[in-house]
Amino acid sequence: MIERWALVSGLKGDLDTYELIQKDLKKTPGNITLFVLGDMIGPEKNCNRLLHRLINPKSNDLQPWCIYGWWEEQILLESGYRGDQRAEALRINKGEEVVKSLTNAVDKSFLDWIAALQFGFVELDCGLIHGSSKDVGENLTLDTPPLTLLDRLTRLQVNRLFTARSTQQFHLELTEGILNSEVHDLTGNHKKEQKVPQKAVIGVGAGKNYTLYDVGTDNTQFVQAGYKTEKRIKGFGRL
Amino acid sequence: MNQAVISCLHANLPAVEAVLKDIELQGITNITCLGDLVGYGPQPNEVIELIRDKEIPTCQGCWDEDVVDGLDACDCSYPSQLAEKRGHFAHQWTTDKLTTENKDYLANLPYSIRKDKCLFVHGSPNSQHEYLLPDMDAFAALERVENARAEILFCGHTHQPYIRELADGSIAVKIKNAVPKDTQEKEIQLPMRRIVNAGSVGEPRHGGTKATYVVYNDVTNEVKIREVEYDIELTCKAIIDAGLPPIFAWRLKNGFEFAEQAEDASHVCER
Repeated sequence: MIERWALVSGLKGDLDTYELIQKDLKKTPGNITLFVLGDMIGPEKNCNRLLHRLINPKSNDLQPWCIYGWWEEQILLESGYRGDQRAEALRINKGEEVVKSLTNAVDKSFLDWIAALQFGFVELDCGLIHGSSKDVGENLTLDTPPLTLLDRLTRLQVNRLFTARSTQQFHLELTEGILNSEVHDLTGNHKKEQKVPQKAVIGVGAGKNYTLYDVGTDNTQFVQAGYKTEKRIKGFGRL
Repeated sequence: MNQAVISCLHANLPAVEAVLKDIELQGITNITCLGDLVGYGPQPNEVIELIRDKEIPTCQGCWDEDVVDGLDACDCSYPSQLAEKRGHFAHQWTTDKLTTENKDYLANLPYSIRKDKCLFVHGSPNSQHEYLLPDMDAFAALERVENARAEILFCGHTHQPYIRELADGSIAVKIKNAVPKDTQEKEIQLPMRRIVNAGSVGEPRHGGTKATYVVYNDVTNEVKIREVEYDIELTCKAIIDAGLPPIFAWRLKNGFEFAEQAEDASHVCER
């Protein structure tokens, strides 16, 4: 059976969207694994119902595998889970009101569960993270220099990096790379040519926009929950 | 004009004095120091005061940071628990010996110094604790220099002097967007950049016993590694007299790599 990953992020407490995605995935052929790449919470709406559902899936739900995102990091900072640090970046950029809205949107009983979430998953040769391997808050986009993208892949020692922080959907392949290195030290000169195999960075989207990844063919499909899926990427079969 | 770059002095006064003398004999007055003035060695106050007296611009090293802020590097900086124990002992000894004034000096050192196209750091632009070893992944090494907006990155921390040139690089990318027509392919040329590691004045780990530093000519772009002999016996005796672990003296005398070095060169401490 075809193995597919569904990569979701940025739900920010939106249980309706999550239910829509679950409904979509039930109709999607193949063996589906659902990954939620952070930002399950946000300051806009009460997140308790969604968090409860993620922790206690309904019997016919796909089991969600969750990691923490930028908003989870903010609430953990503000709630004292990161030592003396507080969510100062959020406070400075968005103001005290947003900090209060965030802490009010999540019941304290969920904080231990959020704090236990991982930074990311490594599945096969793929890294599944919220921001980048450098920082949960780092935006990786089509405009990020390829050298930076390659570094973020190298840090996790993966060939595919799925990222959510930018909220964008994209599939960028690093098809080839070459770099000459010459080291001079006390023992003499050492020349080396380094090549990189094909690698890719994939933006999975946010909210209703999520991504399906076909593990066998390495193809991605960008999907909007509730809409009939379309053939988006050449070579990837219609669902 | 020639300028000298020194690093990792590690409270070894005879070595620092010998290197400064060698620099002076070459007529070089422009000196930059990449930190780790203290740690392991027996004369932390003396070395700091010498650097201060000579008004040598200095970055903060990992030892300088740890002495001020408390131990910051995580255990993986050490190859063994024994090495960690010795490192912690030296940290406490140094903290106890340093004057308040010298601690304040270390606390106020900058993380980096920028001079035109050159950036001077202790470990890497990311962290005082990151090792840029000579065999580090070339693309990752280039990323450190490029994202720091420098053409030449001067660093220390590894105690191994080297000059690494990264050139003739390119990365080909293919963008697959939602619509097949948007598929784009392009090749990006990478800039030529250099990493210069100044080695260590006070605790060499290059297989020999001589102190090392580098001389950079900003007109010709030439970099030379200098090796300097110093009175090792004097430092070894001071280490023993101070009650520091005798192995610190033994490894200086034998030039044997027995030091605290991360096994994972790309590791950045997140503690």
